Amino acid sequence: MTESIHKSVLTLEGRTGITPGVALAVLLHASVFGAALYLPLLFDRPTPLRKPIIAHMVALGKPRDPHLLPRKDTAPPAAAAAPVSRPSLKSAPAAPAVVKHEPTRRELMERALARAAGKAAPEAREEPDPERAGSPQGSPEGTAQTAEEGDAYFTAVHDAILENYVVPSVISERERLYLSATVLAYIGPSGQILKHEFQKKSGNHFFDEALDLAIQRSKLPPPPADLAASLRDSGVVLNFRP
Amino acid sequence: MIVILALLLAADRPVIDLSGGRVQAYPLAMARPLGAQDTGVAVQSVLGQDFERSGLFKLLDPASFLAPPGEGLTGIDYSKWQAVGAQALVKMSCETAAAELKCDLRLYDVARGQELLHGTYSAPRPALRQLAHRFGDDVVHYFTQEPGVFQTRIAYVRETEQGKQIIAADWDGANAQPMTGASINLLPAWTPDGRLIAFTSFRDGAGAHIYTVDVATRQVRPLVLMGDFATGAVFAPDGLRFLFSASVDGNADVYVSEADGSAGRRLTDARGIDISATWSPDGKRVAFVSERAGTPQIYTMIADGSEVRRLTFQGNYNQEPAWSPKGDLIAFSGRDEHRVFDLYTVAVEGGKIARLTQNQGTNEKPTWSPNGRYLLFSSTRGGRRQLYVMQPDGSNQRAVTSEKLGASDPAWGPLPPK
Repeated sequence: MTESIHKSVLTLEGRTGITPGVALAVLLHASVFGAALYLPLLFDRPTPLRKPIIAHMVALGKPRDPHLLPRKDTAPPAAAAAPVSRPSLKSAPAAPAVVKHEPTRRELMERALARAAGKAAPEAREEPDPERAGSPQGSPEGTAQTAEEGDAYFTAVHDAILENYVVPSVISERERLYLSATVLAYIGPSGQILKHEFQKKSGNHFFDEALDLAIQRSKLPPPPADLAASLRDSGVVLNFRP
Repeated sequence: MIVILALLLAADRPVIDLSGGRVQAYPLAMARPLGAQDTGVAVQSVLGQDFERSGLFKLLDPASFLAPPGEGLTGIDYSKWQAVGAQALVKMSCETAAAELKCDLRLYDVARGQELLHGTYSAPRPALRQLAHRFGDDVVHYFTQEPGVFQTRIAYVRETEQGKQIIAADWDGANAQPMTGASINLLPAWTPDGRLIAFTSFRDGAGAHIYTVDVATRQVRPLVLMGDFATGAVFAPDGLRFLFSASVDGNADVYVSEADGSAGRRLTDARGIDISATWSPDGKRVAFVSERAGTPQIYTMIADGSEVRRLTFQGNYNQEPAWSPKGDLIAFSGRDEHRVFDLYTVAVEGGKIARLTQNQGTNEKPTWSPNGRYLLFSSTRGGRRQLYVMQPDGSNQRAVTSEKLGASDPAWGPLPPK
């Protein structure tokens, strides 16, 4: 009678080393790396943006002679009245100076879009500053002094958050030099911020609280179709400095 | 494997750099004082003006407050303060005895519902303003970790019908006290210990020379009587030397001398005037105005007169340099193409110029607060020349003096001794 010996089909004959297993693992890892690197190319996915270039409209103006002292874009607010030299027992603290409302960048953009769409309400024209630095080909709504190229959507995201980005004045100038924080924000298809999380906090309670508020208050435009999925799933990294 | 895939996905993320957020005052509520009302309201008034003028805080309108007026110093309903937008809250309770007043002053963090500062402050009745300034400085120090300037003094020149006199006052223009009579007295400058004010005067009838006045006794002593004129003394941070300008052979140059006026030594000898010298905060360098290149410009040099370097190249009339206590900026007044003097800062490294004032009269003679957070200057924006204070970026400009015939030549005094 023949002795029957049962062996597993996976059992290798004789004494074998671990080399085949390692080779298999290396092969599998290499396949995954290759797939991660090359599959996007196969699907003709555009190269993702690592560092969006932020650009702004060039201001309408004339290039300024570099030998002249610089000018401010807008005049500072008028000074408040002088205090009385003796304390008033009944009066409340002096009211701050009345400051003329300067249109925000968003308001300027909305006005420009409304004008382009023929929906602009008649508005009092502000006297343009004839000495404003810019370019003869620039726009009255422009904010930059020179032209550069940029990514339209990320410029809009940048500007929308910047509009709400407030640095509390109680943070000393010295500390402001070293503060930085990184926030990861996920943007939904209609521009809503789905969630945000600190990747790195600044260490200053007042600054981090202000960033939280800025992101919560920002209304972003809907992302373009080619960015919608990645902004929803991977998010965008926001590096804040004062 | 999952980690690697996550890293690959993360590497795809776009990165947006955001900087240049608006610096905004911190919303602060001051609750109705408890205890002696007259004293409490007076302390609150001084404190409120300090806070607003500092640019650090935005005072909320008491009419909007939801908390009951009688809410105590403890058991605070923070949600009611949060609802009106307060992030910080100040409460006080004051008592007055015969000659003394005493206030329990507290600062709270509304968002975290915590008491941050708590102190009992007492002072003789006439020193009510000082009591308020002291708590104000403690609040500023809590938030910024830098000394506040509410207890500091300023000096300036008051115009009178008889001439110009040197005045010492609180930082907010209150408690103005004459230090001299009213001959022609100009360019006050404090010694670092705050005991003396040096000034330029025509009092001896033989041209302009430099004197000192003791702030406590008002005793005036001559300091420099050399040359046709000697003017603009500025003491080194260590108080051991001072810079001044003098014309000995018909040409104005910068000199340095021992604190008692002895051992005067000329530091500049270029053709054209060299004047308005001022120290760097470490006392190792000097900024001054020189005409050696044809127009008045700001220059720096080592304090022994070596390594002269031109700092400003824009504009054709730059004067009155003032080196910031942090050392990075020099404020100056410059005449623009409209022939109006305005205030600017120039970066000591790199020479970048920023404009601080514009289209508001003539603005001159900047002087830094000892913590570097403010600039005091003179301006004609309201008609007569008066003093104004602002932050070094040109924001939060506020009037300090309301002298009948005008005020000029401000000099900010040192921090009070601890």
